[in-house]
Amino acid sequence: MPLKNNLLLPLSIVLSVLSIFAALSFGAAPTKFIDVYNSVIGHLFMQGNDSFVERLIWQLRLPRTLLAFLAGSGLAIAGLILQTVTRNPLADPYLFGISSGASFGVVCFITFTGISAGFSMSLAAFVGSMMTMLVLMFIAGRKRSSQVETMLLAGVALSFLFSALTSLLLYFSDPQAITAILFWTLGSFARAQWQALMLPALIILCCMALLMSFRRQLNAMLLGDESATTLGIPVQRFRLLMLLLSSLITALLVALCGGIGFVGLMIPHIVRFFVSQGTLTGLAMTALVGGAFMVWVDVLSRIVMSNQELPIGVITSAIGSVFFLSLLCFRKKVY
Amino acid sequence: MQTSIPLLTVNDLSWAVANTSILKKINISIEQGQFVGLLGPNGAGKSSLLRCLYRFYKPSQGQIRLASQDIWQLSADDFAKQVAVVLQETPSQFNLSLYDVVSLGLTPHKRLFSATTNGDKQLILQAIKQVGLTEHTNQAFDSLSGGEKQRALIARAIVQKPQLLIMDEPTSHLDVKYQIQLMELAKSLGVTVLASFHDLNLAASLCDELLVIGHGEIVASGKPQQVITEKMLSDVFGVCAQVSTHPQSKAQPIPHVTYFYGYQSGELHATEK
Repeated sequence: MPLKNNLLLPLSIVLSVLSIFAALSFGAAPTKFIDVYNSVIGHLFMQGNDSFVERLIWQLRLPRTLLAFLAGSGLAIAGLILQTVTRNPLADPYLFGISSGASFGVVCFITFTGISAGFSMSLAAFVGSMMTMLVLMFIAGRKRSSQVETMLLAGVALSFLFSALTSLLLYFSDPQAITAILFWTLGSFARAQWQALMLPALIILCCMALLMSFRRQLNAMLLGDESATTLGIPVQRFRLLMLLLSSLITALLVALCGGIGFVGLMIPHIVRFFVSQGTLTGLAMTALVGGAFMVWVDVLSRIVMSNQELPIGVITSAIGSVFFLSLLCFRKKVY
Repeated sequence: MQTSIPLLTVNDLSWAVANTSILKKINISIEQGQFVGLLGPNGAGKSSLLRCLYRFYKPSQGQIRLASQDIWQLSADDFAKQVAVVLQETPSQFNLSLYDVVSLGLTPHKRLFSATTNGDKQLILQAIKQVGLTEHTNQAFDSLSGGEKQRALIARAIVQKPQLLIMDEPTSHLDVKYQIQLMELAKSLGVTVLASFHDLNLAASLCDELLVIGHGEIVASGKPQQVITEKMLSDVFGVCAQVSTHPQSKAQPIPHVTYFYGYQSGELHATEK
């Protein structure tokens, strides 16, 4: 093991926790860091008071920040898994049509029920994206050879198909639905609530633990299907399982926070610049860096313009691509 | 060992793709501890045969037994615990380190949630040392040279603790020095090895037994001095050559092939290969 690995992981853990705490003190109403500390620690040990600041932090900002962290880590891990099992550095959860499937679900729901808010919209998004994934898995599952190519091409085709259907429905909808769907696609953590956070958090954490326990198999996939087979891995079935788990994570997150692009693609690459993805450290760091990144994106979205929130998706793509390009250009070769 | 059952037995193995027969009625038996070379011209079926043997292809007919068990009766994990494979060229995306690649040898031995113990780590480092790559332990696998990559894969096979090591043209992109180094390394492991070769002289000097495959059939097998003959080279490989005895021969004569050139012009002149 490289020595620096031993330092990188604790460093990212500390940074993540600090990021969450720091993020809680930003917002429309400025809050002192010590108040944040007192109210979080107070609540954790059941001795909180019911002041305005505490309610602000505990009821509004903390669930929101946690959702942001969860979304960042979930998307980053899902991206890492998909890049690994397809051996394609461009793979990310959205490449396979999850996002367009979710949009289609939401647009169908708004068009046919007229409702454009609330939990049922998330449900519609989840159903839409899982439906897309099941179609994709059905197509990829029938192919024994060249499964990766089939999966990538079918994913892109499905993505276009559902975008087209979404556009078609939107063309005949009223402007209100169009605004609703636009805001939904750009992503936001504003809907975060404690009650709506628990179940997805549990599912996502379980999926992530399972994915981490498959790390040996995932690494073996990087050396090609044939090598992986000789190490006793049922390659086709394993790839479908990984696709299922990462779609589940992504679909849940898309349903909760809308479409947040680029994180799943970019974070794994950024972490790869510093640490081998084959180690548990690499996987854990991908999750932590993704989470911390998203927490700061959420902070930016709240403070860049006063009295207004910028959509998350815009910021992730803008910051992400610039940061990523600069890493590509200026990074010295590590090895 | 002579009285025990062979480690690998192949009975009437045939394999066909879309009604084209690639392998026809192959029978092989490999004793424990032997170093066996598989020879044959391009397209003769060497890789296909090896792929059947390491369960990448399911044969259309016939049976392959490891010790006394049909390999298709074993679970994928159990099979991988007994048979390790080093392939010709290993693509690697992303930045796995040499250590990560070697540690993959643990995969069939580990359950889903089991951790890598200190004992495992020692085993991995020891294997890396055995193939002489200790100084590259934390280097990215992709940045290694061709010969180092193949040695790393042998280290992975050592970690896998197999009874049988199958190698599909492991030396095909390597310089002469590394070809010799790699195959001697494989021989030094003390496990049963079945490897396909392009270099007939290398195969003749290292292998206990040779198998020659032509048009999907085993056309010759036995000790190198029985197999490497001028007639076989002309019939199977279509070359004109002279077989002499290698100066390093000990108890057993090691055949040495000298090729003749000038097939296009009709003018043949001998040159050492």
